[in-house]
Formats: sequence, structure tokens, C-alpha cells
Amino acid sequence: MRTAAAAVLAVAVLASGCGGPAPSSGQGTGGEPQGEISLVTPIFEGSDGQRVLEEQLAAFRKQYPKVRVRPDYTNYAKLNEKLTTSMVSGRAYDVMLLGIGWVPPFAGRLLADLGMDRAELAKTYSPRAVDAGVHDGKVYALPVMLDMRFGIYRKDLFAAAGITAPPRTFAELRDHARRLTVRDASGKLQRAGMDVLSTDPRQVYETLLWAAGGDLFTPDGKVAFNSPNAVRGLELMTDLIRTDRALDIGFTKVGDTSIPIITDRAAMALGHNNLWLEIQAQRPELIAQDKIGTFVITDERPAMFQGGTLASMSASGKNKPAALALVKFLASADASLAASSQRGNVPAVRSLESSSYVKENAFVRFAMSNMDSAFSEGGVPGWLNIRNDFKAAIESALLGQKSPKEALDELAARAATQVSGR
Amino acid sequence: MTAVLERRKALRRKDRGRRRVAALMLAPAVIHLVWWIGIPVVSTFVLAFLQYDIFAGTAEWVGFDNFARIFSDDVWNASIWHTLVYTFFTVPVAMVIAAVVAVLLNVKMRARAWYRAAFFLPHVTATVAIALVWMWMFEPRIGLFNALLEMVGVTGPAWLADPDWAMTSVIVVSIWKGIGVKMLIYLAALQSIPHELYEAADLDGASGPRKFFSITLPLLKPATFFVFVVSMIDAFQVFDQVYILTPDGGPANSTTVMTYEIYQAAFGRFDISTASAQSVVLFGFLMVLTVISRRLTGKDDSHVSS
Repeated sequence: MRTAAAAVLAVAVLASGCGGPAPSSGQGTGGEPQGEISLVTPIFEGSDGQRVLEEQLAAFRKQYPKVRVRPDYTNYAKLNEKLTTSMVSGRAYDVMLLGIGWVPPFAGRLLADLGMDRAELAKTYSPRAVDAGVHDGKVYALPVMLDMRFGIYRKDLFAAAGITAPPRTFAELRDHARRLTVRDASGKLQRAGMDVLSTDPRQVYETLLWAAGGDLFTPDGKVAFNSPNAVRGLELMTDLIRTDRALDIGFTKVGDTSIPIITDRAAMALGHNNLWLEIQAQRPELIAQDKIGTFVITDERPAMFQGGTLASMSASGKNKPAALALVKFLASADASLAASSQRGNVPAVRSLESSSYVKENAFVRFAMSNMDSAFSEGGVPGWLNIRNDFKAAIESALLGQKSPKEALDELAARAATQVSGR
Repeated sequence: MTAVLERRKALRRKDRGRRRVAALMLAPAVIHLVWWIGIPVVSTFVLAFLQYDIFAGTAEWVGFDNFARIFSDDVWNASIWHTLVYTFFTVPVAMVIAAVVAVLLNVKMRARAWYRAAFFLPHVTATVAIALVWMWMFEPRIGLFNALLEMVGVTGPAWLADPDWAMTSVIVVSIWKGIGVKMLIYLAALQSIPHELYEAADLDGASGPRKFFSITLPLLKPATFFVFVVSMIDAFQVFDQVYILTPDGGPANSTTVMTYEIYQAAFGRFDISTASAQSVVLFGFLMVLTVISRRLTGKDDSHVSS
């Protein structure tokens, strides 16, 4: 039976190999990398993104004229499909741009140890950004750019409500949200006191969990997102919606084109750093009149959500010198700045703090000056197995189907068997 | 005698030649089917009984463990239930509406072709485009449905964000999208009913409803069974409109369906073995439905032809 299974797998691999990425061509000889390598990227989307990457690859070719890069464009929603098919076909991409949560599940299996020193890298990048690419003490990926989520508020609406400063605790946050909420005579919500629905619910919950002093996992990899502190994070979300009625389910959603904090329909929000570009495009007067403020969500400790894109190379790649050269190039200051500017993100390279891009973008500047409060999700090999299960559990609490503790306990039970990674 | 043998030889040669031509002409289709359907189907069945580590490229025989695991998963069981609910409501409702529309559009009337085209249009329009338009109509704040409800003093729900309404909303879109092709099949069936039957009924003084229930409906039976089978299979395979209207399984997994869970297992969790076991279960559902329906259809066909 095993022989038959192996035969079928072999045929399947052969069949699926038709659509996979091209194999690396040739080994680097001597000191200079050469040959063809494949790159999968989820961040250079659309024609603008493609143009930015092409410019960067042209610069890379000037440094390494004998290396040819074949980019494969995708987005984060489709990245796993690309990776799955490439792995099944046995033709993994030489260089992969991945999210932070991807590193522990892939470390040592799909991703190669880059053989770099964490302490040395921390001189170039923020230590928290470096840690995102480290697993079991080995560096598997270099940070390119970061996606931060933090508190955003409307100074003008705060002033109108007589509130002088952003919240410093969960209790203050709830109080502010209640006072800032506006409903019409029929009870219909006109302005949300605090918008926690425009951002991915998992990322909102994680930010609140960290601020409440909780953690996703214990240092030895056990589930911890249902600990009493962690539950407080979800309780805050639930209280804002169900008790304080500072927001209604359905009032807004992830990906909505009308963003409440920009359109005066929310006074506070937990938002992404790239909202700055949206404000510039939709209502630049809010920036000109200094109506937008930022704050780090704080209770037991300050916490910002740190997502991001990392450059890594395949453990099974046949042209590692060229792949490593591209990984280093994509995580360099110039490439990091280009990628970040295109998406309104935070460059991972610390020296870019003095760049005009960072100076002119208040959200990016704020994020870079608060990197000590940054927390990243994942951290265990089985993270990708449970990552998508958070949304339903969180929603069941927000909808009142379960208490926050019940929802998280159920999720923890479901996750416990999977976090070790099969 | 020799002449007879020669003729037989010539016939055999001709026969071999014909077979070669037939094989040659069939080859592209056979290769295509084996490559794109045969191998994946066999692989899926084998993988369903293995624990395949996509990273290491290793596989271990685990028997029915994958099946035991998926049936102990509440979300997978919920997805089966949601698929059944979705099928139960979309198939019969859309069939009834399609049959009524087909009968109405089978009579002579002005702009009949335009009406037919209008009903058929959703079927040929991209599901993504349809789903996006409906998303706007379902939008709780500025959407069409809640605006209409507001005019009569009713506050509409957050259709796609409320677990009590999300599946209903998906079903409504699917019914609307599915009417066109069913109507087309019914129209073809209606036009194949001999006119003489209606003329004879007229002579006997049969009323319109009597003619519908005694002639039209019985003679639409084979078409009805065909539409039923195809619609059931289609409904069990629903993915795109659910995925776009209610991403990530909908609010609190209220609209997650079997195909979405298979997709999640394979591409969200890199768990090809679980996805294969789930696919085999879906295959089982479809096989049982097809066999039942085929038997019913077969009986009906033989009845009609006799």
C-alpha cells in the first residue's frame, strides 16, 4: 500500500509540477552569484507595485549582473496557495517574501537558516523586527517592512466632547468611547465611539490581549490566549459593542471603502499605519488642521500589533548564493524604503527614521518611535493551523453567542492539538 | 473461397484502421481526462488515508484517522449542515421560480426574447461581479434593502454580518443567479411538448390550469429531474458566492460550507490529507445523490419512452 501511495504521490507531484515555479538555474561559482532564481512576493500588488519591484530588481541587477530574478506576484490572501503548490510540486521558490507568522511553521523545513547573527542585525533593524525572523535562535528571514496597528483618534471630536487626552487604560478607553458615541433619536448609530471592526478581528484582539498583559502562547509553546489577562482583551471588545454600545455589528467591516475614522463616523479606532495614505487621499484637511492623533493601546502595558513582510530563502533552493544576495538586497535600506513608501508601511531599517518619507508620514513616525511596544503574532510551528480559527471565536463573543471566556476556551481546546504542528 | 478470405482480410484491415483513427481522435480527450481528473481523483483518495507532510514530502499510512478527525471537528460538521441547508433552499425554490418563469415566457408576448435574455443574464455574468453588486445592496447603512425597509419604518439587519441573516442572504443571491439556466432547460422542454396535446385538451374544454397540471407538468418531469440533479451537484459545490459575500466562513462560521473548509484545510493550514478526506466525503455525498437521482431519472425516462 505504501508503494502504491508513493507512486500516486510521485505522479501527483509530477502532474502538479507543470504549473510550479521554475527551478533555479546553476550554482553560484566562485564569489559572484549567478543564474536564475524565482521570487514570490505578496506585497508588490497592481501595476504600481510591479513598477516598484521592477525598479528594485533593476538596481539588484546592477549589483549582480549575472543573476536573473523571475518574480511571481500575488497577495497575502493567495500567498499560501502559491506556497502549497510550489511545495507539493517540489519546486519551492528560491526567495519568498512572507508574513511574520509564517516563519516558525516554515523554519528549517521550507526556509533556510540565513546564518546571520541576531545581535548584529539588531544594529540595522529594530530588535523586535529582527526577532520576527528568528526561530530557535537561528535567523530565517530579514525584515523588509512592518505593518503596525495602534490607536487613532480624532482630536476635533475629542475636544468637542471635552476629552483632553487619549485613553491610558481600558477603563478610560471604554469611558471615552461611551462619551464619543452618537446615536440619533431612533437609536441608530451615527458615530462610533471606538471602531474595532475595520481591522481584522484577530489582530484587534491580539493587540488588546497584549495590552492586558496576556500572551498568545507560553514560552514553551502552550496555548495562553485564554488566560485571564488574555480574556480581558476580548472582554473589552465585547463590552464596547454589547454593553457600552459604542459600536454596532455591521456598522463597518474590514475592507470597507468608507473608513469611519476618516468620514467622521468614528472618534477612535484601532487602525493600520497605512491609513495615513488614505487620509491624505480622501481628506487631507484632517492632516492640515491637525485633527488626527495617535496613541498606543495601553492597560497593563502599552501594545502595538506588529505585522510585516520578511525576506527569506528556500532550504531546498539550488542557487543559494544568488538567493541570499536577493534576500539581503530586499531587506536593504533602499528596497525597504521603496516597498514601504508604496504601501504606506513602516520601513524595517532603523536608519530610515531620518528619511523624508518617515518624517512626512506621522503614522509611520509614530510607529517607529514606539517599536518597544510592538508585539507579533505566531511564534509556534502550528500557528498557521489555527490562525484562521480566531475570527469565528471572536465573532461568537461579539455576537453574544458565547461569553469571551467560553469562546476562547473552546478555541484553545481546538488549538491545543494543532499548535505543536504536525 | 479465396475471394471471401481476401474480403474478410480487407474488412479487418479497414476495421483496424478505423480503430486507430478512433483511438487517435479520442486520445486528446482521454489524456486530458486522465491528467486533470483521473490522477487528481486517485491521488485525493490515496492522500485521504495518509498523513502527508507537505514540508517534509513524507507520507504515512493512517487508515481512517483523517476521517475520524474531520468528523470530530465541529466546524466541519457545521459546514456539512450549512451545505445541506443551502442546497435544501436554493434547489427547489430556484426550480419552482424557473419553471414558472419558463411557462410565462413560453407564450407569445412582446419583447419575449429580451425577457428571456434578462433572466439568463445572471448565469453568464461573473459571480464575483454579481456578489459585489449584491454586497452593496445588502450594505446595512446605505444599501438598497435597508433603504426600502426604512421607508416602511423597519430597521433592516446587517445582512451579511448577522449570523441569523448571512446564510439567507447568500441563498437569495444563489437563487437569483441560478434561475436563468434552469429556465432555459425548462423552456427547451416546454417547446418539445407536442402542440396536438393542447389542441386535444382545448377540444375537450380543458381549462388553463387543468392543461398545466395534466399536460405540461407531467411532461416536464424528465427535465425536472435533470435540473434537480445538476442543481444539487452545483449546490454542494458552492464556493465563490459564499467566499465573496461572507469571507472567512461568515460571521461566527455561520456560512462556512464544505468546499470552503476543504480550501481552508489545503491552502490555509497546508493540511492536504485533511482536505483530501473532506473531499472524499463531499464526493460521497455527490455520488449518493447522483445515484439516487439517476435511478429516479432512469425510471422516468423509460416510462416516457414506453
